[in-house]
Amino acid sequence: MPLDTSTYNLALLRVDGRRWNELRRVHAQIRTQAAADGSSYLEMGHTKVMCVVTGPSEPGPRRGTGGGGAGGAGAGGAAEVVVSIVIAGFSSVDRKRHGRGDKRTLELQSTVANALAASLHIHLFPHSQVNISLHVLSQDGSLLAALINAAALACVDAGIPMTDYVAACTAGSTSTYAANDEGADPLLDLNHQEEQELPGLTVATLGESDRVVVLVCESRVQVSRLEGMLAVGVDGCKQVREILDRVVREKGRRMVQEGTVEKGIGLNEMDVD
Amino acid sequence: MASSQHVLLSPAELAYLHASLSLTPPIRPDGRSPTQFRPLVAETGILPGTNGSARICFADGTEAIVGVKAEVERTAQRPGEETVFLEEGGAGGDGDDEEEEAGQGLDKRKGDASWVEMTVEIPGLRDDDSGTAFLAAMLSEALLADGEFAKRLWINRRFHWKLYLDIILISPPLSYPLPLLSLTTHLALLSTRLPRLKSEGDEDPFFDDDWAAAPYLFPRTTSSSSTPSSTTTKSPTPAATRPPITLLVMAVGNNIIFDPSKEELAVADVALAVSVTGLSPSHETETGGGTAGEKQTGRNLRLLSIRTIDPPSRLTAPGVANAANTAYGASNGTSNGTQKMAEAEAVEGVWRPPRGGAKRMVLGALVQKVLERGGVVDEVLDALEGADSG
Amino acid sequence: MPRDAEPSLNEKQFVITALQENLRLDGRELDQYRPLELSFGDQYGAADVQLGKTRVLAKATAEVTVPYTDRPLDGIFTIATELSPMASPAFEVHRPTETEVLLSRLLEKTVRRSGALDTESLCLVAGQKCWSVRVDVHVLSHDGNLIDASCLAVVAALRHFRKPDTSMDAGVLSVYTPAEREPVPLSWLHSPFCVTWSFFGEEGEIAVLDATWLEEQVRVGSCTVSLNKHGEICQIAKLGGTPVDAVSLLQCTSVALTKVKEFSGLLDRKLAEDLKRRDKGGFMSELRAENDR
Repeated sequence: MPLDTSTYNLALLRVDGRRWNELRRVHAQIRTQAAADGSSYLEMGHTKVMCVVTGPSEPGPRRGTGGGGAGGAGAGGAAEVVVSIVIAGFSSVDRKRHGRGDKRTLELQSTVANALAASLHIHLFPHSQVNISLHVLSQDGSLLAALINAAALACVDAGIPMTDYVAACTAGSTSTYAANDEGADPLLDLNHQEEQELPGLTVATLGESDRVVVLVCESRVQVSRLEGMLAVGVDGCKQVREILDRVVREKGRRMVQEGTVEKGIGLNEMDVD
Repeated sequence: MASSQHVLLSPAELAYLHASLSLTPPIRPDGRSPTQFRPLVAETGILPGTNGSARICFADGTEAIVGVKAEVERTAQRPGEETVFLEEGGAGGDGDDEEEEAGQGLDKRKGDASWVEMTVEIPGLRDDDSGTAFLAAMLSEALLADGEFAKRLWINRRFHWKLYLDIILISPPLSYPLPLLSLTTHLALLSTRLPRLKSEGDEDPFFDDDWAAAPYLFPRTTSSSSTPSSTTTKSPTPAATRPPITLLVMAVGNNIIFDPSKEELAVADVALAVSVTGLSPSHETETGGGTAGEKQTGRNLRLLSIRTIDPPSRLTAPGVANAANTAYGASNGTSNGTQKMAEAEAVEGVWRPPRGGAKRMVLGALVQKVLERGGVVDEVLDALEGADSG
Repeated sequence: MPRDAEPSLNEKQFVITALQENLRLDGRELDQYRPLELSFGDQYGAADVQLGKTRVLAKATAEVTVPYTDRPLDGIFTIATELSPMASPAFEVHRPTETEVLLSRLLEKTVRRSGALDTESLCLVAGQKCWSVRVDVHVLSHDGNLIDASCLAVVAALRHFRKPDTSMDAGVLSVYTPAEREPVPLSWLHSPFCVTWSFFGEEGEIAVLDATWLEEQVRVGSCTVSLNKHGEICQIAKLGGTPVDAVSLLQCTSVALTKVKEFSGLLDRKLAEDLKRRDKGGFMSELRAENDR
């Protein structure tokens, strides 16, 4: 079913009523689960992801195909980041069984693992393993971005030292690869319908910098339009980072208020009021 | 089957735990009474994209999510079955059958176990792992045992609902996850709704778009759980069965303990996974059977399946009594001799892993305790029903 | 699980320090490819790519099968990659490593999902018969930059490939042998190529093309860009690794475009040469009575 993009030119509104530079509602929680070292729940629009982090801990028995590993326990004595992604059968509109050996899932696992390994100080934990298990409960586009954001939040909750948030979002362009080149507007944060029809890419940046950790483009697009899409994407990542940061600070403030943690020196900077 | 979790407790700790659980009444490490469950957080309808969903979080932090999806599927006509389509469903239509399936409506319906597909995902385990497969088998066995459930998925003679149950354990498997998964599945099924059928008879089914009009797969009794005895007369939905629940029950000595924690399971003499289904109270007069004469509150419970769980206690190392310990100046026999001695006789306060099977008396008592009217299962079912409607 | 011997600390340091001074161990420029050799086999659809010591063989085959029920109007097109222990001791048979998964995903996205092959043209009878085109990628020797070499081999093999000619006559499908009718090339829409950048240094500021295996073991990140000569991006994959400045990624893409145009020219030239070699002057020349004596 082709997406009717003609209406965009009339009112400059997308199928879900957003403007070109608007994110969908991002809702996130951390410390959602008592048993895990770190956990998070993230919604980007209707894409819903849960993440549970265990570790750094002693590496378990090596599994055959395992998850996407990065960091390499043997290499340079850094912890290994192991990611396993479970895409629930009920997450998409039509029920679909996603096997663990699915190559797309393996690629997602490897991408999330490598993206986080870049920002975590895993070299502080030699011969250990950080297990990140992600559960996709509902999918509506921007899946990789949601997975990266959820994993980053859960790692913050787990207290694994990191340089900065890895924040991700998607960007797209309003026309297909062939049609009206000049008139194409970049779009921020694609939903499933837009992702199916329009060219798009996923960007993840480190903190507030312009430095790109992940850049994945899976559709055909003119090279001239890359710059616009990338700029919008990087800008979106900064917005996402703000949201993630707010979630963490809010949780920290509440924990101080509830007396779960003592108000320490480090927390003074969090302007607890 | 082994309940795979390794428990890092020393023989001395095991012995202490075993001793305190064998007291009358038993003293549990977390101070619960033998029949008390751990607190849990439950919510339903968390995923709008599914026909039914639920999430349960146990107090120990284990968490599970279940989503139910339904698809219309053409029923395979088996050879030998009559394939003539007679218009006999009547004017009522099958959608209304959901609500008034009292007597004969149910008889016409046929069910098949293949209409339900269940998958279990445990983080860290492959999906073809024996443990995962066993869990899925136990859960679907309980659901399909009496054949009543699959009948609910009947649309007409040519079509049926195919129900996909995806069970996901979110947390790492800290304790044996069977009860958690079972309770979550129960809740998800209670909240499952299927679109209301608008077509009649055996024609290709089409459905009402209005989700608000969609009937529940397990029709709700109107607030019957709070006043069970009074609703017998007016209840418009004499729901036959509720979705099953599977509970873990264990015995230490002659004490029967419900909802064992991981540590308690490590000293269990016997552990059973018992699947029961509750017949809603309005039904009890018809199916009361032997107990019909007695006026009791609570549900009539029907036993669906029992599985013994191999408790991890069998794999623990035995403790060595002081008398047999050479370090404490025991008679310096050969190491072979001390070994034998340690295994042969039970010394007070020295851990011995349970040997042999369960006593018949204990097993009987376990099952009886589960099936007790107005007992633990009733409490759990009430609580879950409350969580669903609340 | 076997793994390759890692370079020693000294070796790593040496490579990195040299790169910081714009030097590579084999004396190449940072954005220079190793000598690239492309040859075709005697059969249609076999392409052999040598990039320095990396050697990849791709073989395209076609057979008539039943199309997928959900896509009755499309043919089937698959790319199979297998990294055998022949290429590197780190690879095991029947056990996909991460390298293999990523390689096959990249080829899939670059060639299949970008619509390089018109799969609708493979349909013979809607819903009943279609061509199933399969490319097998065999890595014969692994010395870095498998992705670029494999992608080139796949595209070359498919463009070189000829499938048997068919005709539909009154509902009867006939497939002709090469002797009966000249085989026909696939309906090819555009030729995408992969260009992989490897990043070195703390901030990933040194970008290098066509890394050798030693360099790949030392790099901090990589980015594969797939383009065709018309300047259309088919796929970009920077799957984690050390963050790289967005602007330098854009530069990488534009350099990649020039490389892709070179590849495209090379492939066109080689295909033309091969055609000339095969074409002995056509049917008329075979019937000529004269000979070379």
